[in-house]
This record gives sequence, C-alpha cells and structure tokens, in this order.
Amino acid sequence: MEMTREQVRHGLRAARYITTSRVETALFLALVLEKPLLAEGPAGAGKTELAKVLAEMLRTDLVRLQCYEGLDEARALFEWNYQKQLLRIQADRAEGRGWDEVSHHIFSRDFLLERPLSRAITAPRKVVLLIDEVDKADPEFEAFLLEVLSDFQVSVPELGTIRARERPVVVLTSNRTRELSEALIRRCLHLFVDFPGAETEAEIIALKVPELDARLREQVARFMAGLRKLDLRKAPSIAEALDWARGLCALGVRELDAATVRQTLALIVKHEEDLRKAESKVTTLLAAATRS
Amino acid sequence: MRSRILAFVQALRADGVDVSVAETMDAVRGVAAAGVEREVLRESLAACLVKDEADRPTFDRLFDAAFPLVGVERRAGARQRRAGGGVGAVATAGGRGTAGGRGRPREEPAEAERRRPAPARPPSASRETARTPQGLEDRSPRDAARRPGRVARRLALMRLPFDEFTARDVQEARDVVRELGRRLRARLSRRERSMRRGRVDFRRTIRASMSSGGVPARPRFRARRPARPELVALCDLSGSVAAASELMLGLIAPAADWFRRAHLFVYVDRLCAVSIEDGHVAPGGPLDLHARSDFGRVLEELWGGRRDLLGRSTLLLVLGDARNNRRPPRADLLRAVHDRVARLVWLVPEPRARWDTGDSVLSRYAPVCDAVLECVDLAALAAAVRQAL
Repeated sequence: MEMTREQVRHGLRAARYITTSRVETALFLALVLEKPLLAEGPAGAGKTELAKVLAEMLRTDLVRLQCYEGLDEARALFEWNYQKQLLRIQADRAEGRGWDEVSHHIFSRDFLLERPLSRAITAPRKVVLLIDEVDKADPEFEAFLLEVLSDFQVSVPELGTIRARERPVVVLTSNRTRELSEALIRRCLHLFVDFPGAETEAEIIALKVPELDARLREQVARFMAGLRKLDLRKAPSIAEALDWARGLCALGVRELDAATVRQTLALIVKHEEDLRKAESKVTTLLAAATRS
Repeated sequence: MRSRILAFVQALRADGVDVSVAETMDAVRGVAAAGVEREVLRESLAACLVKDEADRPTFDRLFDAAFPLVGVERRAGARQRRAGGGVGAVATAGGRGTAGGRGRPREEPAEAERRRPAPARPPSASRETARTPQGLEDRSPRDAARRPGRVARRLALMRLPFDEFTARDVQEARDVVRELGRRLRARLSRRERSMRRGRVDFRRTIRASMSSGGVPARPRFRARRPARPELVALCDLSGSVAAASELMLGLIAPAADWFRRAHLFVYVDRLCAVSIEDGHVAPGGPLDLHARSDFGRVLEELWGGRRDLLGRSTLLLVLGDARNNRRPPRADLLRAVHDRVARLVWLVPEPRARWDTGDSVLSRYAPVCDAVLECVDLAALAAAVRQAL
C-alpha cells in the first residue's frame, strides 16, 4: 500500500488515537509490507482499539474475529447454510427438478454462511481484519490461521478457491495467556503495546474527556501511572481511566483528595483484593500525583 | 544499509535472539520503506526482528552498539574519503542516516555495491573503527556454524541415550521437552474432542430437525462423559536414571492439567511428592539423592500411605531401572497395586540388553505390568509416554 509515515501519524491523530512513535512505525510497516501485525501487551492498553482506529483511518470496514477456546473453522471461515439448502431442496422437489440441477444450485455462494475470515477475504475492498485474543483459541486453530494469513484464500471444496481481491490489513491481538506458535509469530510484525506514560495518558484524557479540568487531568494520569506500578491482579486499563475521569466530572470534583479517591476507586480497581491493596496506598499515590 | 542490517541480525543471533531469514528480509524491506531516522529505524527493526518483548533489552543494547549516534557535524568531504576506505563506510552510513532523515531506498544497492569489495580489514584503524561495534564480523562465522546446528542439535538430543547426558544436555533438553509436553497436551485434548461424538441422540436429533422441515439435517450426539484418567507417576531420581526421570516429569507437566488428578512422585529410597516449576523438579519434601535406591520400600510407602490415590481410573507410570541394590523386590506389592489401578506402565530408560543384568530385578516386576517400554532416549521416551497415555 502506498503510504508515508506522516500519513499514518496524521491518520491516527485524525482518528483521535494518541500513541507513541513505536506504534506508528509498526502500523506503517504493517501497511507497507502488507504483513499481519501482532499486538501484544497487557489487557486494556489499547490493542483492540488500534484495529478499530486503523479501520477508521483507512476509511474501511472492520471485520472482527473474536477467538475463544473451541473456535473452529466452521465459526471462523465459512459454513453451509443447511436450513436454507433443505428448504431449497424441498421447494425444488415440488417443481420436479433433477438432482444435478439441484446439487449445482445448493452449493453456490448463496448458500454459504460467511464467517469473519471469509468475509474479510471476499470483501470487495480492503478491510481491516481484527483477530482478537488469538491466544484464547486452540493451538490447532493457529495452524489453520497460518494458512489463511499466508495466502489469503479460502478453499471451499464444492466451489473452489476464493482468493482475496484485496489483501486485508490484519491485526492480531494477544494477552500472552499462552505462548503462540513460533510459525505464527514469525509471519507477523510484532508490536508490544504497553500502558501509556502519564503524559500520554493525560493527552488521551484531554482528547476523550475534554470537560475535565487540566490540572485534575494531570493528577488522574499520574495517579493511574502510580496505580499500575502496584502489583495488582488486573492493572487498570485506559478505558477505566477514562471512566474515572468522566465520573469525576459528573461528580463535579475540583481537587483530587483521599476521600474522593476512596469513594470512586471502584471505577478503576475491580478486584476485591486489588481494591484493598490500592486503598491502603491511596495517600502515597495521591501525594505523588498531586505534587508539583 | 543492507549489510549493516545483516551484521546487526548476526549480532542478535549471537546473543540468542532467534531471527529467521524471512524476518531479516522483512527488516530490509521495512527499513527501505520507513527510512533511517534513528528512532524510526530502531522501531522498524524491532517490529520485524523482535518477537518477544523479553528480547527487547538485548535488542536495544545491540542496536545502540550497531547504530551508534554519530555526530551530525561530520563533514561531507571526510565522509566520502572514508567511504572509499572501506572500513569507515559502516559508520558513515549511520551518520548519513541521522543527518539525512527520510528513507532513500533507491540508493541502497549502490551503497551495498560500494562496500562489498571491502577486504579483510585494512590496518587504518581510524576513529570510526572504534565506533563500529566490536566483534560484529568476528561473531558471524561462529554464529553461522552454530545456526544450522541448532536443529541438528535438537535432533541429536532426541537420539542421545540418557546415560550419556551431561548437565548441559539436560538443560537444553528442557526446552525440547517443554515443547513436546505442549504437543502431548494438544494431542490429548484433540483425542478427547474426537471421542466426544458418541452415539446419536435420537430424541434431540428429531427435535433439531424441526427447524429444517423435519429432515434430520444435523444429527445430535449423546455427549460422552469425559473419562479422564487420574495419573500417578513414580520416577526414579537416583543417579543412573535421574536425567530421564527429570525429563519425563517435564514432559508430563504441561499435560498434567488434562488429567482428573495428577500426582507426580520421585523416589530414591523413599517416596517424595514433587511439582514441576518452569521445567524444573521442585520436591515437596525431604529427598536424599544419595541414598541407595530401593523401589521395594517405595512401593511399601505407596501402598501403606497413599493407597487412596490408586483407583479404578488411575494410570500408574513408573520410570526406573528396577535396580534395587540387592534389596528384596516387592513384586507381590506391585501386583496388589496393579489390581487396584486401571493400567500400570513401566518405562525403562536402559537398553533392553542391560535389563536384568547386575542388580536389576526387572524380570520380577515386568510380568505384573500392563506394559514395559524401553526408552533409552528422548524420542523413545516421548513415544512411550504417548503410548502409555
């Protein structure tokens, strides 16, 4: 795809996605080299969002394949629409058509149920294919994915091979709940998406929750950065930080103090255990966040 | 630029970051597209070459060495002179990169051309030679020798008899074993999935056929109760077969969660429950590695203390050479154990020729077992475990 890094940067800005040059470069390469991009990192750091923004940037559709344990080809690639085929057969029987005619008929594209992968491949224009949480799928599925990602074609025994007209832009995300296969990793460009630093996060909050007071925004961002350094079971995500910022707005908070934080902590920390740990550290975190 | 990237890749490989040829090609194409501004170059190369965030610090260190920050103030005249000199060219390319900005892929072939005839190493050790990462070139031959060796090494390791294992071999074998264990796990769940399709459930098939006009388009199956066995593994950890035991435990560990329950034990002369942490055996109690092995006593302990573990659906795996140091074998106890469990498999990490020689009492135990499998190397061990499960 013809594109410059500047265009990627401006595109991301225009799509209201604030990020680092690392992410920009990786995205740019994925687009130019037409290779799948594997985004890894903690949950809630904006990996899925990346694909959505990419679709917005390229002004195209996002096709999403959410992986889960037990996901198989029928759910990911295509499946025949048995019900519809049966109806057709019954309708044809009434008209007295022969088998050849019928069988030719019912194995056509009209009777194919599209699934995300085939939808991405048969789409008339370039789409963004998001394969979300690929680590949740079984290793066997990964092997199958490999085939699709290298050739961008689908073989339907009755129809033949359907080749992608436009290679989709592929983004895979993984939380590393298990090791992905070497073969898959090698075929992708790799990007580690980490939580943003306090400054970047403040920028994000400014963009998404503009009504929040600037000073408060800085404090929220710094508080979040401190909170993520605690050894929590689930580090708070960017989305949760935004929720919190909105919450603070709604409550009309002017200044971040211990009492407010304690009252609203449940917005960002969701595990009982984490909550207890965070509560005990509120004063220290707050001191660090409100300094300067 | 291309040769610099290649040299950089060599350096990465020498430091243990695996980079494939395809990834190197990606890197070259990526840099051609993205340009050589230093930070962009860094991220481009990282995206193409570093597939594990754990390797990132190594990458950054080597990147700084291979693409050092060269002062932008370097004058053009000096630059050309050195480019002709062969050695300086490497550093110069970096200097141009930081100064020049956006990528000019068109120039690359010419540049590479210019550098190719560079002979061994002219003695004119200029200031730039010091800047070029030391040993980049020196590393490559050794590395080249090692690279193709890696796969071969893996294969050799699979075929290396256990009694020739050194500590280093065991260390390397751990990685192999972990991979084998993962595959075993996948195999077990795959087998289970195919078993899940039991007999046709007539009632549910008919009900489902309502949605397709009374034609039973999709048969419904009666779900089979997953019959996952319980696993009890007894592994001899005495000197002669320790490596084999350790590796077998490592092999089973990734698959352990598949079993209804898995109890892993090691023994020398006493039973000791263990867990596997990160491929290493972590004993759950005191363990005297230098005691004289005594399987008879271990059987007594198992029978006396942990009989509750032996049930109708238990698979008992024993790994050992049945060398009892002339102490009485307890084949009678093993028979009693066998009668309680579903299956008893003995894995012997000794070549068949040595069975029953010296103080081995295998012939006393063997008739009691459902299967006695010879596994003198990793490949045989993996096959035996697959067979046993």
